[in-house]
Amino acid sequence: MKRHSVVAAGIVGLFLVSGCGGAPPTTSGGGNSDSNGQNAEGSSNGLSWSGTSDPSLKGQTITVLWTDTNGIRGKLLKQFTKDTGIKVKEIGVDYNSVYNKVTTAAMARSSDIDVVEMDTIWAGQYYKGNIAVDLTHVIPKDVQDKFTPSSLSAASYDGHLMGIPWFSSSKHLFWNKELFKEAGLDPNRPPKTYDEFLKDSKIIQSKLGGKGIYASGWSWKQAESLTCDYVGFLGAYGGAFFDKNNKPIFDTGGGLQGLKEMVTLMKSGTVDPASLQWDEQDVANAFMAGKIAMMSNWEEGDNLNDPKQSKIAGKWAVGLLPGEGQVTSAACTGSEGLAIMKTSKHKEAALAFLKWIAGDEYQTMEYKQEGQYPSVQALYTKLSSSDKSGLLLKFDEQFKYGVNRPNAPGYVQWSDIISARLHDALLGQGTPEYNLKVAANEVQSQEALSSSQ
Amino acid sequence: MKKFYITQRHKDVGFALLLILPTVLVLLRIFVYPIYQSAVWSFFHYNLMDGSPVQFIGWQNYKDVLTSVAFWLATQRTVYFTVLTVLFELVLGFFSALLLNQHFRGRTFFRAIIIIPWALLTLVNGLLWDWIYQPGFGLFTVLLHGLHILSPQQNPVWLANSSSIMNFVSVADIWKMTPFMTLILLAGMQAIPEELYEAVAIDGAGFWNKLIHVTIPQLMPSILVAIVLRIMGAFRVYDILTVFTGDPQTSITYLTFNYAFRYFYLGKASAMAWISTIFILILIVIYIRVLKKNLDQA
Repeated sequence: MKRHSVVAAGIVGLFLVSGCGGAPPTTSGGGNSDSNGQNAEGSSNGLSWSGTSDPSLKGQTITVLWTDTNGIRGKLLKQFTKDTGIKVKEIGVDYNSVYNKVTTAAMARSSDIDVVEMDTIWAGQYYKGNIAVDLTHVIPKDVQDKFTPSSLSAASYDGHLMGIPWFSSSKHLFWNKELFKEAGLDPNRPPKTYDEFLKDSKIIQSKLGGKGIYASGWSWKQAESLTCDYVGFLGAYGGAFFDKNNKPIFDTGGGLQGLKEMVTLMKSGTVDPASLQWDEQDVANAFMAGKIAMMSNWEEGDNLNDPKQSKIAGKWAVGLLPGEGQVTSAACTGSEGLAIMKTSKHKEAALAFLKWIAGDEYQTMEYKQEGQYPSVQALYTKLSSSDKSGLLLKFDEQFKYGVNRPNAPGYVQWSDIISARLHDALLGQGTPEYNLKVAANEVQSQEALSSSQ
Repeated sequence: MKKFYITQRHKDVGFALLLILPTVLVLLRIFVYPIYQSAVWSFFHYNLMDGSPVQFIGWQNYKDVLTSVAFWLATQRTVYFTVLTVLFELVLGFFSALLLNQHFRGRTFFRAIIIIPWALLTLVNGLLWDWIYQPGFGLFTVLLHGLHILSPQQNPVWLANSSSIMNFVSVADIWKMTPFMTLILLAGMQAIPEELYEAVAIDGAGFWNKLIHVTIPQLMPSILVAIVLRIMGAFRVYDILTVFTGDPQTSITYLTFNYAFRYFYLGKASAMAWISTIFILILIVIYIRVLKKNLDQA
């Protein structure tokens, strides 16, 4: 017994000696901050847009964490080092690992990473969680104006620019021209409203359903991909997630109309039932196999035209997702930015990197090598002359109708709540009214809980 | 007063302690300390990402978790999954071990290949079964259509509903983890002395009598180990579920992970982790006591 007490006392003693009380730090997040998380003004962080060419930055090394699974960007980064003398260490991971790595680094207050990828839905957490530097007053207004409005808004939260717009992305309507022709529809005239979408779907289904083909397929697995598609429907019917007082209103008006339309489509028998367990990649696979006539998806291009992967090479087209009434079109935005970690010890060099990323040279190289669409508006006109596929201008057209997901700090949990309820409604478990009401209440109570404590 | 001499033995013990000290320190820092830290965090409001102040809130996190519908739904599904998989894995594992314990041609080959499912990464196993469960062209649907169990018009979406997902995940887990049970039980069976079987054979025991009176009682310690290990493994089910669904309410670990590393409610997630840890510890203690009692009586 005595021996046990000695061991226990020893362990406690070791904790005390190592100064490990175990209590969390008094402020949340990564960097040093005031009680609200961020510094009051972005300009007080000492960064200067014009200071990025300072010769003292030469020889510094910055570490960049972003999605890069094929290592294609290494060559591009060498160009940056050549231009500026700043070395870059790249940590290329898959998309799903980015967020965890960023937050782990922030929790550990590590200064190992300087520049990080920022998906549109993380902007609020990067701001409130004190992870990234607020660039609102660092990047000059005239530079900000050069970006596409959708990529700029995707990198902002509540008026704070949390990163440099990196690339533009949104959902688009893809359709199979062959199947349209077979069903007797005009292959050059996709549906412009969801009413037309349903009507066309019924025609396709009645003509081609016997062959095991469905009019449309969707990424309606209970996951983020479902929330994304819902955002498009909500936007098409003129809805919004929150009112001015941050009260959830997606259970009324356009938000409700949008879900009702999704349920109508599902019940009409024109949507491949497998949609309920599909993500975007599954949908693209079904489209490439010629099993669905229409899909909503992110920027696809090369793989749809690769005969090794796709049975529909050269037989498809892309255009605007439907709108309704006053709304011409609406599509969920997936644009991303690059942010500077608050814990970085090379912030000015990191800013030089961001400046280079947003420059015409890099944006053009990335578009040509990776098919990533630029965040700089002027490049769309400039590059369109050499774009034989014509995709660039078509995608750009849709970017103008992008709808952002709410990127407040609580979004990740709200999206889980919402996608669960959307999924139930699509399965026929409860009406759209009931499910959205429950989701709105849960989102509101969650918000109240985190702001009251 | 007794005089204290430093003997050779004392020196040896001292030297041994010195040698293990670095390991002990590392283990304390990376293993014991985080456990202790999570216990402390569970009494704090500690939301990393929403900018709210960190503060001590006593048992509030535990109260919140224990009154949350999501937690109980996840618990219910986890317990269902654990009971179903461990039961099937035990029965199937026992009989495959029995089979592999017989003498027949190619026994070594079968003993070797049976570990393939177990050697697969859980995520790969998830992707494999996700493919099998695809509506339309998935193997499962094709098979049911071929056997005329489903009519050609029927094309169910197997993984649509979170409650039924638990059954499909269970099948995938049973396929993967039965070999683990088989290996542990096979090792146990090989340790049973041949004489016992000979003795009961002289008494006129047939196959089932041998099984009930010799194999099972002799195998009890192995069964106990296998069950406890599998309960702990099954209770922590997480990665395979992330392939099948985005619904975190399908298991406690999934829910805890989301609270900790997606929503960053670190206080609440710590409380949740502690509740499930205590829950499983109680289960294991009860289980070992019951079986120990049985063994003592036997």
